[in-house]
Amino acid sequence: MEIKLEKIDEYQWLIPKTGPMRVPGLIFSNSSLMKAVQEDQSLTQVANVATLPGIVGHSLAMPDIHWGYGFPIGGVAAFDLDEGIVSPGGVGYDINCGCRLITTLLHAHEIRPQIKGLVSALFKNIPSGVGSTGGVRLTKREEAKVAVEGAAWAVKKGFGSAQDLERTEDNGAMEGADPSVLSERAIKRGRDQLGTLGSGNHFVEVQVVDQIYDPDKARAYDLFEGQVTLLIHSGSRGFGHQICDDFLKEMSRSTQEGKYPFDLPDRQLACAPVKSDQGRRYFAAMACAANYAWANRQVIMHLAHETLISLFSISPRELGMKLLYDVCHNITKKEQYTVEGNQVMLCVHRKGATRALPPGHPLLPEIYRGVGQPVLIPGDMGTYSYVLAGAEKAMVLSFGSSCHGAGRLLSRTQATKKAKGRAIHRELEDKGIYVQSRGKRTLKEEMPEAYKDVSQVVEVVHGAGLALKVARLRPMGVIKG
Amino acid sequence: MQSHKPDFTLLDHTADLGMTVRGADLKDLFEGAARSMMQVMVRGKPPESTRTKRLSVRGEDLADLMVRWLGEILYLFDGEKEVVVDVQINSISKSRLDADLRVVSFDPHLHEILCEIKAVTYHQIEVAKKAHRWEATIIFDM
Repeated sequence: MEIKLEKIDEYQWLIPKTGPMRVPGLIFSNSSLMKAVQEDQSLTQVANVATLPGIVGHSLAMPDIHWGYGFPIGGVAAFDLDEGIVSPGGVGYDINCGCRLITTLLHAHEIRPQIKGLVSALFKNIPSGVGSTGGVRLTKREEAKVAVEGAAWAVKKGFGSAQDLERTEDNGAMEGADPSVLSERAIKRGRDQLGTLGSGNHFVEVQVVDQIYDPDKARAYDLFEGQVTLLIHSGSRGFGHQICDDFLKEMSRSTQEGKYPFDLPDRQLACAPVKSDQGRRYFAAMACAANYAWANRQVIMHLAHETLISLFSISPRELGMKLLYDVCHNITKKEQYTVEGNQVMLCVHRKGATRALPPGHPLLPEIYRGVGQPVLIPGDMGTYSYVLAGAEKAMVLSFGSSCHGAGRLLSRTQATKKAKGRAIHRELEDKGIYVQSRGKRTLKEEMPEAYKDVSQVVEVVHGAGLALKVARLRPMGVIKG
Repeated sequence: MQSHKPDFTLLDHTADLGMTVRGADLKDLFEGAARSMMQVMVRGKPPESTRTKRLSVRGEDLADLMVRWLGEILYLFDGEKEVVVDVQINSISKSRLDADLRVVSFDPHLHEILCEIKAVTYHQIEVAKKAHRWEATIIFDM
């Protein structure tokens, strides 16, 4: 399908409303990033999402957009609560895949001589890899508590402290979670995967704050140049995959049977009205997975904390580990926005996108109300990650959303081909980055060239005023699944 | 790992992994799809002894049947830690198949995981007869 594009300004492109599209598409990008976007099918996916019932405003795409399944990765779409739909494919299989950034009082030069040992210790202590288990084994009863209480469950069990909760999106627990709607399979898969990293693009990265762009905001976030930080990227593991799979199958069947009065351009867009029984049950199940993911990252953070304390033989006070913030990338939530002058509640889907609330927003914790929500943008393992602060324009242009990472440029097979005969871990070591990974192919598939230039992605978000740059982080060591 | 070589090619998909599988008839196509998926995921020595599992899958149509069939095999691996080493479809129609699976328990010392497939998606799923052969295109979430 030929997609017509109109350039609005330096950072925005419009897909005019044509055919079955109910609203136009809007892509945040720049001229250079747009070239790659036009080479795959992601723009068609933006247009497909625009055909879904009850969509409000635009079908949006962030600058890290790439071809997903159903929704594009980097897609944001908001739906009316009465007329609109909720779509498991619009959230993705890894529900509440997200990341958390942790600050320490350590300086990079203090740990540089021991970075190899630190990477090995983290690799040993944090279970990773495909189907990784061995973190925390749950009884069915405890698992239900995790699904309802989220990160607070982990804190109650001694993984971290209560102050971590206010520094987590939704305080680490989404309302409305109901474990009674879950399948036996979902429960089974969640039993032994809590506190595990998983595989693919999931990682724990040891970083150094390499550049500060906004000293006032950096101070508010407790960031300083030369500081050691840790970034954790993981999600709801097999528990979330199963929940997405269960509801996609159920909604796909309902669509095929003609239960709902709409046609879909792609079966992966299977959805149900927000207010239908199926829609409500999906929300209740998705919230369980979101909460599981927050508990998961909370446990992983604790494992990292214990590793650093023991390896460096320092006290928790000397280490000074503090959660800066935890954000989700794959989620749908009911949030309030102003549409045509009216305050309305909408069902906002973010698939590979980050919430970015501006200063003064009532959902922000007191500590960040003056500066805006920390927006964490991991890059690839060879370059940089960024900390931004949510800004006012996100509320007007993007339903309070920003990008979520660099975004893939090469497919996994293309990346593997490009990496053939090369020792990626050695190339990274030459740049001072030590990597340990479980899967043999992971390093090749996840090599830096497989990703877009994260700096360009961040410049678009900053330039468009969705979130503003605060600091840049450079990797020193990475563990991958 | 399997006894019959499936006829498939991998497709380039930016975020995920896709494959096109071909078969002489529906039975051949569905068996080939299962073998291809396992071949992409796991490598290991041929096992000395296997167990047999019987599986029945229903779908709305051939495309749905394919997603559910591969989804069941994927669940056995991820949820039950069982590696499907071969499949035999005993009967297949547009909306149902019955199969015997040869499985072994996953053993990290014997099996090497090559890549993680999170799910079998409905995205651009296609199962159709092309000329004299059956062909399916499937995209996986990685």
